[in-house]
Amino acid sequence: MNGILVDVTKCTACEKCVAACVERNSKSLLKAERDRAVTSDGLSAERLSTVIKVDDGRFARKSCMHCLEPSCVSACLVGGLTKTQDGAVIYDSDKCIGCRYCMLACPFHIPRYQWDKTVPYVVKCDMCFDRITQNQQPACVVACPEGALKFGDRDKLLQEAHAEIRQHPQRYMDHVWGETEFGGTSVLYIADVDLNSLGWPVNEAAAIPSLTEPLVHKTPFIGLGVAVSLIGLNWIVKRRNKLMGNDPEKETPEEKHD
Amino acid sequence: MTSRTRALRDILWTLALAGLVAAVFRLWYGLGATTNLSDAFPWGLWKILNMVGGVALSTSGFTVGFLVYVLRLKRFQPFMKPAILIAFLGYGCSCLALLFDIGLPHRFWHPVVMWNINSFLFEVFWCVMLYFTVTAIELAPVLFERFRAERIAHALHKAAFVVVVIGISLSSLHHSSLGSLFLVTPQRLHSLWYTPWLPLLFIISAMGAGLMVVVLAKLIWARWYDPASILGPNTGQQIPLIRIDNGSPAVSFSRGPEGPEMPHVRAMASIAAGILGLYLVLKIADLFLHGGWPALTVGTWESWLYSAELILTAILPVLLVIIPKSRYSPAGIGLAAASAAIGLALNRLDVGIFGYIRDAGAVYFPSLIEWAVGMGVVAAAGIFFLFLSENLPIFGPIRGSVDGRPGLFRLTYGSLSQLWQTALTDNLHRVTLIAVFVIPAAFVLMYPPFHSDSTSVGTVRPARGIDAERTILFIDGNNDGVETIFAHADHQKRLGDSASCVKCHHVSMPGDRSTPCSRCHLRMNESYNIFNHEYHLSAVVEDKHITGLYPANFACRECHAGGNPETSQSAKNCLECHKEDMFPGGLPAADCDLMTANPFREAMHQTCIECHQKEAERVNKPRLADCQSCHQSLQPRQITRTIAEKADGR
Repeated sequence: MNGILVDVTKCTACEKCVAACVERNSKSLLKAERDRAVTSDGLSAERLSTVIKVDDGRFARKSCMHCLEPSCVSACLVGGLTKTQDGAVIYDSDKCIGCRYCMLACPFHIPRYQWDKTVPYVVKCDMCFDRITQNQQPACVVACPEGALKFGDRDKLLQEAHAEIRQHPQRYMDHVWGETEFGGTSVLYIADVDLNSLGWPVNEAAAIPSLTEPLVHKTPFIGLGVAVSLIGLNWIVKRRNKLMGNDPEKETPEEKHD
Repeated sequence: MTSRTRALRDILWTLALAGLVAAVFRLWYGLGATTNLSDAFPWGLWKILNMVGGVALSTSGFTVGFLVYVLRLKRFQPFMKPAILIAFLGYGCSCLALLFDIGLPHRFWHPVVMWNINSFLFEVFWCVMLYFTVTAIELAPVLFERFRAERIAHALHKAAFVVVVIGISLSSLHHSSLGSLFLVTPQRLHSLWYTPWLPLLFIISAMGAGLMVVVLAKLIWARWYDPASILGPNTGQQIPLIRIDNGSPAVSFSRGPEGPEMPHVRAMASIAAGILGLYLVLKIADLFLHGGWPALTVGTWESWLYSAELILTAILPVLLVIIPKSRYSPAGIGLAAASAAIGLALNRLDVGIFGYIRDAGAVYFPSLIEWAVGMGVVAAAGIFFLFLSENLPIFGPIRGSVDGRPGLFRLTYGSLSQLWQTALTDNLHRVTLIAVFVIPAAFVLMYPPFHSDSTSVGTVRPARGIDAERTILFIDGNNDGVETIFAHADHQKRLGDSASCVKCHHVSMPGDRSTPCSRCHLRMNESYNIFNHEYHLSAVVEDKHITGLYPANFACRECHAGGNPETSQSAKNCLECHKEDMFPGGLPAADCDLMTANPFREAMHQTCIECHQKEAERVNKPRLADCQSCHQSLQPRQITRTIAEKADGR
């Protein structure tokens, strides 16, 4: 399970990661710059990752967090989104019907839509899936000149992050964002400021599929239960009417039409 | 047809036609161009109002089915068919609206074969699809009876109980699941509306309001076609609420004679009010249990909206049904029903749209096209409702006297001749008839692509050569099939072979010596701005090696050196950069600003006529400068030089 560790204290907002991302995804740099200006956080179908200001002089790369239990994967009705063994959450454009439920479901507002296309698809970061399967690092990680992005095994990155915090207690807040929030994410953040503007919850938050999946798995049984109780109820009513002698069988609604 | 239903029909047809036009635009231009949906608001009017709201208001099929078939309350039997028709049409128009909403409508069937059993939306899709089939099966006996296929109708009647049980099970699943859809947004939906009880609240409110919709439909139908069934035979008589019996005043709630159906309507409304009362209790309990109460008391606009929604959905209908005076009046019951229906729609809008505004930091208001499609499908369902309920035994036996032709299927709008006759005599009808045509036409004309300043690719057709050397060119700029045959190789030879190119190709693209005319002269009859600002911006960034966060921002000064505003006037002359690469020695620099290109027609005439006139004098062949020396297909009398000059504005 791969992951990316983002060190917010090192980011200088040079946006070389964004440029590399645009290039890797064969998007137009000009359109990406245009969308930087017109969107609130700089994410769009032409700009899969962005750098946003999280505090005075503190910047952070924002893109798909690649949750361990992704809400979008759980929400997609055709199974168009998948959490792979490599840690990436990837999108299959051949399955998508364009319902945009993933966009609603994502707690980080990550998936974006190609609104200006007649045949539109959802666009999101896939952790450079083709590169990581060939043992290469994602384009943004390679492009970062400050070493603010680190790619590797998530567990090792987590250990590194905690070691870094222990080593420089005055430099970081004692918290690794993404360790437990929403059931944990593959992209981790360490910082000296609060990262709520990135979409991280103020309080501890459970994985979103844990709110819905137990319920949705019960639905067939609820349906069966309803059907059985309806038949039972109907039997009771029928029998009661019969015993009271005021509703002979021939007057039941089914026969009454003619 | 009464004039009242005619006015309604006109409105419905106008809305439906406008919706049809809007739907074509939606499919042709895509979601972004036609809707106000955005990344901040991926779900808008179509999904929330048409789908979530529309389906919730069509619960009638299953609730009335429960009363009639499971509890065997025979008195509600007359409500069954209207309820099923409402459910069938409600689901139908909701699904139709959804088809326009999804980005790839041609893949609507994907969930049938591609499964994700973890998704509530998947469950909703399957339940709605199956339930829609169930309502169709439930409705089928009415059709079969109408066409005298009684044996099939009878078989279906026998299976009615099973079908109803399946329908109720499916309904109880998907009505609650529509609420569960929003369970995935605990961080985003406003705390007033986000609660783990969403599925429960959704199904209870839908059941109550769905019954109210049947009541409303029944009342409206009776008002138009069969007033006696509700109001009783003597409607003009005033009956006092307080009667004096045996000398002592006593309050009596028996309002004298009323129609035979009114007690049933009242009973149905009472059941609905009971369910809505339960909904009210659940809503209030939910406020305290799940922490919504503090958010309600702070006085934000959300808290006011929440209160308004709750008053409309539950408090007002329940009060109207409890108060005897309104319970015994059709208007009171009708008001309760309408209030519950509107309140329910508002509730779904709150959960699906308004509750997200604070989190999104943006406001969503549906575009004209969204309204047109959304209302258009509802209007289409309304047309179907009127048509089917008049021609099938839905509310009772077929009402043959509706247009004086008993038992005949007829067009809902009447025949065309009837339409014209009435249109000429009836003012209201004339106005609505004009509206039917004008509103869609206005849509067409107002749509931006129809009056844009043509920034897209030009319409002039490039000249075609018969071979690679372009010995002969066929020039037909306006693509009307009348071609001018131009001996390209011959002109090349006469004007001096390799040195001849620049005599006609006065300006060429950098690195080219003979750019085709139609490359710049893109429009047949109007000037065209050929300057590509975006390209120049990126080219300057690359050329001057500008770096930084926003390199394009530093590129402006390369051309717009002096002052604001940055217009083409304040920019530096194109020739400062393009003297050599685009000017192989054609026209003098002052003649050409490189920003706008003349109309194709004018450009061709200028280039050819001047040269031909000089040559005609030189070799003394006057006909060389005539129109038909180039336009060979024209007869000599068809065109004179004066006409040509007038056309060119010279």
